Amino acid sequence: MIKFFLMVNKQGQTRLSKYYEHVDINKRTLLETEVIKSCLSRSNEQCSFIEYKDFKLIYRQYAALFIVVGVNDTENEMAIYEFIHNFVEVLDEYFSRVEPIDELPKICSALEPQQACFSPDSSFKGAASTTPIY
Amino acid sequence: MSDIVEKTLTALPGLFLQNQPGGGPAAAKASFSSRLGSLVRGITALTSKHEEEKLIQQELSSLKATVSAPATTLKMMKECMVRLIYCEMLGYDASFGYIHAIKLAQQGNLLEKRVGYLAVSLFLHESHELLLLLVNTVVKDLQSTNLVEVCMALTVVSQIFPREMIPAVLPLIEDKLQHSKEIIRRKAVLALYKFHLIAPNQVQHIHIKFRKALCDRDVGVMAASLHIYLRMIKENSSGYKDLTGSFVTILKQVVGGKLPVDFNYHILLQVLQKYILLLYLTMILTISAIFIFLSLAILFECVHTVYSIYPKSELLEKAAKCIGKFVLSPKINLKYLGLKALTYVIQQDPTLALQHQMTIIECLDHPDPIIKRETLELLYRITNAQNVTVIVQKMLEYLHQSKEEYVIVNLVGKIADVLVLNTVDTYAPDNAWFIQTMNAVFSVGGDVMHPDIPNNFLRLLAEGFDDETEDQQLRLYAVQSYLTLLDMENVFYPQRFLQVMSWVLGEYSYLLDKETPAEVIAKLYKLLMNDSVSSETKTWLIAAVTKLTPQAHSSDTVERLIHEFTISLDTCMRQHAFELKHLHENVELMKSLLPVDRSCEDLAVDASLSFLDGFVAEGLSQGAAPYKPHHQRQEEKLSQEKGNFSWICVKLESYFITQVLSLVPISFPDPHPALTLHPLKGPSICCFPLCVHVFSSCSSHFYVRACNIWFSVPALIC
Repeated sequence: MIKFFLMVNKQGQTRLSKYYEHVDINKRTLLETEVIKSCLSRSNEQCSFIEYKDFKLIYRQYAALFIVVGVNDTENEMAIYEFIHNFVEVLDEYFSRVEPIDELPKICSALEPQQACFSPDSSFKGAASTTPIY
Repeated sequence: MSDIVEKTLTALPGLFLQNQPGGGPAAAKASFSSRLGSLVRGITALTSKHEEEKLIQQELSSLKATVSAPATTLKMMKECMVRLIYCEMLGYDASFGYIHAIKLAQQGNLLEKRVGYLAVSLFLHESHELLLLLVNTVVKDLQSTNLVEVCMALTVVSQIFPREMIPAVLPLIEDKLQHSKEIIRRKAVLALYKFHLIAPNQVQHIHIKFRKALCDRDVGVMAASLHIYLRMIKENSSGYKDLTGSFVTILKQVVGGKLPVDFNYHILLQVLQKYILLLYLTMILTISAIFIFLSLAILFECVHTVYSIYPKSELLEKAAKCIGKFVLSPKINLKYLGLKALTYVIQQDPTLALQHQMTIIECLDHPDPIIKRETLELLYRITNAQNVTVIVQKMLEYLHQSKEEYVIVNLVGKIADVLVLNTVDTYAPDNAWFIQTMNAVFSVGGDVMHPDIPNNFLRLLAEGFDDETEDQQLRLYAVQSYLTLLDMENVFYPQRFLQVMSWVLGEYSYLLDKETPAEVIAKLYKLLMNDSVSSETKTWLIAAVTKLTPQAHSSDTVERLIHEFTISLDTCMRQHAFELKHLHENVELMKSLLPVDRSCEDLAVDASLSFLDGFVAEGLSQGAAPYKPHHQRQEEKLSQEKGNFSWICVKLESYFITQVLSLVPISFPDPHPALTLHPLKGPSICCFPLCVHVFSSCSSHFYVRACNIWFSVPALIC
C-alpha cells in the first residue's frame, strides 16, 4: 500500500506531495524533512530502498529532483521503483516541454495549474500498485 | 493513457474560456491564471525558510480576504483554491478555505467543480466534520446525466467518504456497475473496494456483482476487481478456490499477449500466491512461460509465487537460476531483490544459500546498511547451533551502530528469539557466551524491548536445562557477571536490565562462595539509593533484598534500608519495607517463607483463610458480631433509607473497618430513639442521628449526608 508520494528537490523543498493516509499537517513537514534527510544521505552506489521506521521508502533521483514513495511491507519494491519511472515518463509525454530540474514551476507556467495536480492521480490508475490509487 | 486524453478534453473548454480577449476582465483573468505560477516561482527563488514563511503568510492573508469577500466569483474562487492547495502542501494551515472548497464543488460548473472536489479530497480526511456537507453534492452528481460529473463524484467517493453515509450512496453506486461506459464501471468498482476496506459488512451482499466485474470485457474493470479479490482472498482463501480457473485464464491472456502491456499483472501473481495449490498443471505451465518476460519486478513476483505453490522441479530450477542472477548482479537494487528472494526461499531449499555463500558473506560487510540489514534477516532464518555465535556477533555489531528505535527493537527481538527460543532451549554453545550476549542485548535494548524477552530469559534461568550442574554453572556465572557490572562506577543500565539483575541476584546469590550475601545486599542497597532507578525497579530490588536477608545473618544495611523505606512516600515501597521489618524480627519464619531456589515450585493458596477459623471462633464466643455478607448489608441499608434518621455504630477492629451496623430507623417526630445495639467489643463510635450512607468497608472515610449535603468524615482509626 502506498502511503505517500513526494517530489522533493535537493535543498529539501517539497515540490509535490500526496498522502494516501491521513497525516496531520504539522506532522507532514516533519515527516518530509526526515525522509529527505535519509534520501540525501545516500550515495549513488547504495540501493534505492530504505527502511524507515516501520515502512519503506523507495526513491529515485532525476538530476536535482528526488521522487520518494513511502510504502508498507507488502509492496514489491521493484514494482514501485519502475512505477516512479513510469510516472516521470507520463509527465514527460503529457507536458511535452518537461525538464527534470525542478519541473513543477515549468509545468505550471506551461498549462493549467490544476493539471499538475490531476496527473499523479490519473497516471497511478494505469500503473502497477497493490492498492489502486485514485 | 485514455484517462489522460479524457482529462485533456475536460480541460479544453476551460482553456478556451481563459484565452478569450475582453479588455479589463481578461487582464484580471490572465493575471489570476498565472498567479499560481508566479507564487511557485517566488517560492523557488527564495533561499531561507523564514522568507518563505513570510511570503506564504502574506499570500494566505490575501487569500483569506478574497475567499470571504462576497464579490468573489466562482472562477476567482477556483484560482484561490489552487493556491490554497499549494500552501497546504508546503505545510501551512489553510483551514479557512475548507468550507469554500465544498461550496465550490457544489455550485461550480464542470471545471470549478473538479477543482472543488480535488481540493476537498486533499484538505479533508475521513473523520472530518465538514465531510458530511459533501454527501448531498455527491449524491446529486451521481445521479446527473453528465458523465464527467458522475466520474468526479465516484472518484471522491473512493478517496474520502464518511462511513456512516455509505448506505445513502450504495444503491446508486451498484447501479453504476452496469453502466455502458467502462470508465464509470471501473470507478464504481474502486468505490466499492474502498467501502470494503472501511466497512466490509456493508458490501457483503454484492459479491456476485464483483464476479461479474472480474469477467468484464474491459481490462480496466477487471484489474480493479482484482484488488477487491486480493483483499478478500487474504482474509479467507478457501472460499474463493473456484475462481482459480478464471485467474489462470487471465494469466494466460497476459502471457499470450492478448492484453495490453501496461496491465498490472503482478497483482494477479500476488493473488495466486495466496493459494498453496497442489499440482495445478495449467497454472504451472503458464508461470513457466512468464519467465520470458523482461520486467524485473514481475520476475521477482514469479519467483515468490513459485516457492509458495506446490513445488515442481523444473520451475524451481528456473527460479533458482533467476535468484542467482539477481544476487550476483552488480546493480545494487537487484542484489537487494536477490537477497529478499533468498529469504523466502531459504527455509525450503537451504542448498541455494550454500551456492551463494560467498556473495552473502560479502554482503554482510557491504557499505550500504540496507543490504547489511537484509543479509542479517537472511542469516537469522538459517541460524542453527553451529553458526549462531557468528551471526549473533554480526547482529550485535549492527545493533551498536544503529540509533533508530525501530531497528533496535527489531534486532533485539531477533537476537532474543535465537538465543532464548521461547523458553524451551537455546542455540547458545556455552554459558559464558550466553550470559555475555544477553547482557549486551539488555544494555542496548533494555528499555525498548518487548517485555516477554526478560521474562523468558528469567524463566529459562529458573527452569534450566536437564543437567542440574550445568544450570548451577549458568546461574553462578550470571550472578558473578552481574556483580561485576554493578561494581562499575558511573554506568547507567536500562531499567529492565536492573530488574533482571536484581531477580537473579536475589534468587541465586546463595551459589556464591566468595562474596557473602551481606555484600550483595550492600550493592543492592547502593542501587536503591540511586535516584536514576525507577520506582518499579526499586520494588524488584527490595524484593531481592528480602530474599537475601535470611541468608545474611545480621546486617545493618538491612536495618538502614528498613528505616529508610518505612517512611517512604511510595506506598508500594512502604509495604515492602514493613513486611521486611516484621519478617526480619523472626529469622526462622523468614527462612521457611523464603526458601532457597524454590522459584519454580507452585504455591498452595488457601483462599478460604481457614487458618483464621480459630481466631474467629474465639471472637464470636466473646460476643463479637458475626460477619454479614455484603448483600445483606446492602439490603439492610436500603430498608433503612426509608427512614430519615438512623443510629449507626461503627465497630472497629484494630485497623480494619469491618462493617457498619445500622440500627433501627427512627422517624423524625419521635425524639427518643429505640436502640438495639449489639454489645460492642473494642473501640467503637456512636454517631448522631443523621442519615448516613455507608460505603465500602475498607475506606478510611465514610460519607455522611446531613440536610441534603454530603460530608466526608474520616473514620477514627485506633
